[in-house]
Amino acid sequence: MEGAHRPGGAAKGLAWLVALYLVLPIGIILPVSLTDQRFLSLPQEGLSLRHYATVLTSTEWLGSIAQSFWIAVGSTILAVVAGTLCAIGCWRISRRATDLVRALMLLPIIIPSIVYAIGLYRYFAGLGLLDRFLGVVIAHGVTGIPYVIITVSTALAAFDPRLEQAARGMGASLWQTLRWVILPRIAPGIASGAIFAFIHSWDELVIVLFIASRDVFTLPRRIWDGINENLDPAMAAVAVLLIVFTVLLLLLDMALRRRRDAP
Amino acid sequence: MSATGHALALHGLTKRYGSFTAVDDVSLRIERGQFLTLLGPSGSGKTTILMCIAGFVAPTAGAVLLDGRDITALPPEKRDFGMVFQGYALFPHMTVAENVAFPLRVRRMGAAERQEKVRAALDLVQLDRFADRLPRQLSGGQQQRVALARALVFDPALLLLDEPLSALDKKLRAELQEELKALHRRVGRTFVNVTHDQEEALSLSDRVAILNHGKLVQEGAPAALYEKPRTRFVADFLGKSNFLHGTVREAHPGGFAVMAGGTRVIQAIAPDAPRPAAGTPALLSLRPEKIALLGEAETAENAVDGRILSWSYLGAGFAINVATQDLGALRVTLPSWGAPFAPAEGMPVRLGWSATASVPVAEDAD
Amino acid sequence: MAAAAQRQTGWWLLILPAFLLMTAFYVAPILQVLAISFTEPQPGLQNYERLFTSESVQRVIGTTLRICLITTALALLLGYALAYRIALAEERVRRWWILAVLVPLWISVLVRAFAWVTLLRRQGLVNQALLETGVIAEPLQLVWNEFGIVVGMVHYMVPYAVLPMLASMREIDPRLLAAARGLGASRFTVFARVFLPLSAPGLIAAGVLVFIFSLGFYITPAILGGGKTLMVAEWIGLQILDLIRWGLGTMMATVLVVAILTTLAIFSRAVDLRRLFGSGA
Repeated sequence: MEGAHRPGGAAKGLAWLVALYLVLPIGIILPVSLTDQRFLSLPQEGLSLRHYATVLTSTEWLGSIAQSFWIAVGSTILAVVAGTLCAIGCWRISRRATDLVRALMLLPIIIPSIVYAIGLYRYFAGLGLLDRFLGVVIAHGVTGIPYVIITVSTALAAFDPRLEQAARGMGASLWQTLRWVILPRIAPGIASGAIFAFIHSWDELVIVLFIASRDVFTLPRRIWDGINENLDPAMAAVAVLLIVFTVLLLLLDMALRRRRDAP
Repeated sequence: MSATGHALALHGLTKRYGSFTAVDDVSLRIERGQFLTLLGPSGSGKTTILMCIAGFVAPTAGAVLLDGRDITALPPEKRDFGMVFQGYALFPHMTVAENVAFPLRVRRMGAAERQEKVRAALDLVQLDRFADRLPRQLSGGQQQRVALARALVFDPALLLLDEPLSALDKKLRAELQEELKALHRRVGRTFVNVTHDQEEALSLSDRVAILNHGKLVQEGAPAALYEKPRTRFVADFLGKSNFLHGTVREAHPGGFAVMAGGTRVIQAIAPDAPRPAAGTPALLSLRPEKIALLGEAETAENAVDGRILSWSYLGAGFAINVATQDLGALRVTLPSWGAPFAPAEGMPVRLGWSATASVPVAEDAD
Repeated sequence: MAAAAQRQTGWWLLILPAFLLMTAFYVAPILQVLAISFTEPQPGLQNYERLFTSESVQRVIGTTLRICLITTALALLLGYALAYRIALAEERVRRWWILAVLVPLWISVLVRAFAWVTLLRRQGLVNQALLETGVIAEPLQLVWNEFGIVVGMVHYMVPYAVLPMLASMREIDPRLLAAARGLGASRFTVFARVFLPLSAPGLIAAGVLVFIFSLGFYITPAILGGGKTLMVAEWIGLQILDLIRWGLGTMMATVLVVAILTTLAIFSRAVDLRRLFGSGA
């Protein structure tokens, strides 16, 4: 817009500095991962892929990647099914009656993971779920529900409630209304929620530190050990792979949103 | 399902939200094949009544009966009513044909029969060429017709219309009014329509029920309501009206006289109607089109002198505000074709009307 | 009325799976473990007495509060500058700026902590660069202290600060700003008298959010603090995993939860968590 208010030079400069502060440290990992040295450093004489080779041929790293992946898949399914149904129910029932439910569902974002982690440590010991695949899936699934609820609720806010009334009025049962009218309309929101729930599980460390030890050894857990024990460039290679993966998922999410917003 | 439609009755229907009464003890019968309009200003409870009939709102008290059967507790999906929603509520992710097929699909009708019925329904509203379009690719009028086809395709017991024409511009609205009326004659079903537009109500309906503050004020055929409003609200809401305030002087069989200041007004009434007692206050409703401008030599049962306060030209006619001493400002409409003079502000005029032109009405109890 | 109640039952059933999962596998474990603070090693409030008697407990709380307040202040300042730039950017450019916020937001916190270690440790890239250019003679101690924690935490929190502020800035009608300029206000006056007051709700929401997220933060302080500077979350982990003092650990966890919920309750009107994830991209 002509004549619009624009930030001044100082504000612009500060914004650039902040953006660099956010992005540069993450970007610096890429050259470090390509170093030809045996320790964490910038490449000295040339670029090398040897550290990627180390990671991609290590059964330990690959095992952890596979484990993290399947845990994320399992917990995402759990979070998406429970979260989507709950968001729809809350949306349809009057706002005030479900305020408490909504608040409950957002707790995992508000309460620090450390509190939940020590709670589960004790709780799962009683249930025999410590260091078990199922235990981690449940923990990540439950804590992933808020992400699904938030994105699905946003999608539902744009959904015309009369469509649901129209469907019921024409004789559709609740199940038919869900399957043919509501779910197709909010599918992009569900997909967004699934992506965030997946990233949440894929990156989660604090809970895993407490409820898993040997049999379940996820990727974040292996990175944690790596940072605390031997800071070698292989870690940088893993980090780059993780960044690429996350960025791809985010781009997918943006593409989905754009398709949803398209007329 | 019979092709002649079904009869619907409301018995003492009441809906309260906390201390607010949205619908107050409304009883109403809608006969088979009739087109009934619930008419009222916003907040009069008309939409709540429609939602009670559809089953989306559970009444606090009273009952909804279909052909004598109590359906008050039946959920909407079990009622078999067609409904056209305000704004149409077409499913944006389905084509026109899929939208129309939806009620059949939920009833698990076979594909062949379904196609047949969808085609027939789209034919009925002349949209057969648009079957594969998405709703957003249609004009407002076309969307409205899709909503109609979708509401009628499953031979519903009743068709409910919630302000079906309000989203359209004036010209299109008039066109679709005609179509809706023709459609009603063709399908012979019972229609219940909700609107705040009095012209729409008058032109479409077999019967109109006028609501105010949740109460049923008056109900009847459009002409009867227009010609014989019972209360000031009805006279004012349906068309325009002048109101004459006065005191009853004397009553004879067939009429009575009212004194308003120094002006005497004669009011005719039916011979069997109760006559008001002398000395009681009277309120008369007088439609602007029933007042004539009298020439020098002309006389009328009622006549009053005044001066033109303001006037406007409406194409087909003039609307003139005349200031009178005893009756206040009176609104008069005249056809512009053949008007005896060109109106001008300040011009003295003499107004006249017959004793049968006005109607005694009651003040509304608030 | 029976009909309406019956109609709602179906919808309540949809809520049920999530409700049961959340109750059985989230709320129950937390309540159970928080209850331990009153029962171990023996029933009573002696764990809570430590809040007033134990110097080490007080030191941890003090350190945590100090770091959280510094982090919140810095994250708000930096985040505001960024949000301001994004809110006033043209549509085309704005998408890239938002990406610069969202990508760090979703990248693993471990990866980010690792990046800071790479940069800030004694033999890290920053010290190397400074040594080589002769700015310093001895490597600086940039990490495994409070400085390192704050650098890493602010880095983590800036995106969380930007999103609510951006949401509230985007609601400001740009014509209002143009009108103020048209009425003769300078750029700074427009900012101070129009933009800043209108964006205040977002600023408060961001502050609350960053503060409560910082209070219970585990990973970044643990990595960048190097075990020397302890914050509450790491201290709790230490009590439970290494010292097996459940009573003390759960007491601190209870204090943490109460502190967070109290902060949220006070500012409940300003913070809408749903917004954070709904309107970012």
